[in-house]
Amino acid sequence: MVVTGVGMITPLGRNTGETFEHARQGRSGIDYLRAFDTRGLPVRIGGEVADRWIQQPPGVAARLERMASRAIQLMWTAAMEATEQAKLGRIRDRYRIGVILGYHGETSSLGDIARIFRAWDGDGQWDATRLRQGGYDAFSLVRHKVDVGPTLISRIFDCRGSSIGIASACAAGGQAIGEAYRLIRSRRADAAIAGGCEASLTYLGLSGFILLKALTERYTSPPTASRPFDRKRSGFVISEGAGALVLEDLDHARERGAPILGEVLGYGDSTDAYRITDIHPQADGAVLAMARAIEDAGVERGQIGYINAHGTSTVQNDALETLAVKRVFGERAASVPLSSNKSMLGHTIGAAGAIEAILTLEGIRQSLLLPTINHETPDPRCDLDYVPNVARRFPHRIALSNSFGFGGHNASVCVGAFEDG
Amino acid sequence: MAESLISPDQIYREVQKAIADALQISEQKVEPDSSLIRDLAAESLDFIDINFRLEQRFNVEMPRKYFLEHVEELFGEGTAIDESGRLTEAAVTIWNARLGSAGPRVHAGMPLDDVPALVTPRTLVMIVGEILATCPATCPSCGKAAWAVADGSPITCGGCGAHAPLLAGDDVIRRWLEDFRARGGSVSRAS
Repeated sequence: MVVTGVGMITPLGRNTGETFEHARQGRSGIDYLRAFDTRGLPVRIGGEVADRWIQQPPGVAARLERMASRAIQLMWTAAMEATEQAKLGRIRDRYRIGVILGYHGETSSLGDIARIFRAWDGDGQWDATRLRQGGYDAFSLVRHKVDVGPTLISRIFDCRGSSIGIASACAAGGQAIGEAYRLIRSRRADAAIAGGCEASLTYLGLSGFILLKALTERYTSPPTASRPFDRKRSGFVISEGAGALVLEDLDHARERGAPILGEVLGYGDSTDAYRITDIHPQADGAVLAMARAIEDAGVERGQIGYINAHGTSTVQNDALETLAVKRVFGERAASVPLSSNKSMLGHTIGAAGAIEAILTLEGIRQSLLLPTINHETPDPRCDLDYVPNVARRFPHRIALSNSFGFGGHNASVCVGAFEDG
Repeated sequence: MAESLISPDQIYREVQKAIADALQISEQKVEPDSSLIRDLAAESLDFIDINFRLEQRFNVEMPRKYFLEHVEELFGEGTAIDESGRLTEAAVTIWNARLGSAGPRVHAGMPLDDVPALVTPRTLVMIVGEILATCPATCPSCGKAAWAVADGSPITCGGCGAHAPLLAGDDVIRRWLEDFRARGGSVSRAS
């Protein structure tokens, strides 16, 4: 199974090349939020994508904008990059191309909710005629639904095989890659667009995470707020973005002369079935996901050269992910470098797994490890090699990309350099 | 009286704009007799969008059902559409009575599925015009005869500011069909 196209739009760049380069430089994409007035909120930072980076899909698809949330617009921007690279449009049998999308829909805006309330008499009666007043459009509520995502992406890129929406919080992007991998491996598709997207930088989107106390509220400056594995970490920084990969059967890719960027070697997933937001205290689920991905890939644990950590910058995740890596790799754990892209990108939730898997592949291609920035104060519970602060030249062939979600969803994708023959 | 407040030309311009905005095409491409489906590539979702835009613009309620569905409801199943989903002679008669010779043509035996493609800007203008024409002479809230239309606004009472109470689009069609029957319009089932 090979990867024939990748694309992304992130707080660090409008595409894969720009994002990787800025990450290599150890830059942060986190700043004060400009999308809405954050006054009064305990969190006023995040990783925004510039509006002007969002592309418009070609042709009749422009009309679909009416139905598209911001997250879906980010998604098609990323998918345009990936499908152009893969020359996906040239595949003749459109009925064997799938779309697997990690996406949770979007929270309705305050404006939507206010409009609905204007049509409510406060006593259970709705006046539908009032919904027709006020200059908003017919799709303002439907637009945020989860299923609209795979629908629009399938339509825009003319993919007529399976179309599946994945909603598993922070694991969604990783799971989307894993499920696309399973779809193609089981011969139910020749190729698939897999990825994830997120755009929750709105008043309500932020409020939900603030109420969960998941976001860091203690930071000296926006770029230093996300500090995975650092003792002074205190929560994650929320960001928006999208990542898209074209996964393809090797023979199919070869036959049509598609570019081969790397391989998806294996996939493992698991669920904690423990508590809603707490991770299992021995990180059982994370251990299982990584072990399964390695086993599925048919490689030895000793062959894993790098781990792209979930590394959210929450106290709990980073300590328990460290424990999980130690349980999987034993004495060798200290010599397997792992780093967190979230130190620079923030946490793009449903998109993170896809973006990070692509950056992992790029790292393999360029023999480079992206750094974990803001790593200043050692934490005794986090004592592995996190590639602190500076990118490192490091040839490696096989890597894991971890995504662990609230609710106990765990996904680990094993990717590797393309080994011809 | 309300008809003179918003002229057919004004309605047409709004219909043209609603279609162009919904379909993301230039207004010049929208002509009075363009088939929304055939000429302008509209799909069913676009009809919802276009109707919603017109509803907001004029504060009207566009019909939820097609004309021939109303015929079936009022005159009995099988009157307008036969068992194989095709238009009956009666459907053609009543269609022509309603739309006149200038309207899009139908013929007996035509599949019902082909009817939505007959919707044109002109038919939408007619529907909006009919609904606006149901505006009563005087405002039911304050009793004044002072309907006014500010630029780009729905019909409102110049006395008390109330929106004009207009009949819903489906009711307008039903009322037309009832009048048609009262006038002795024959709608017998195809034998």
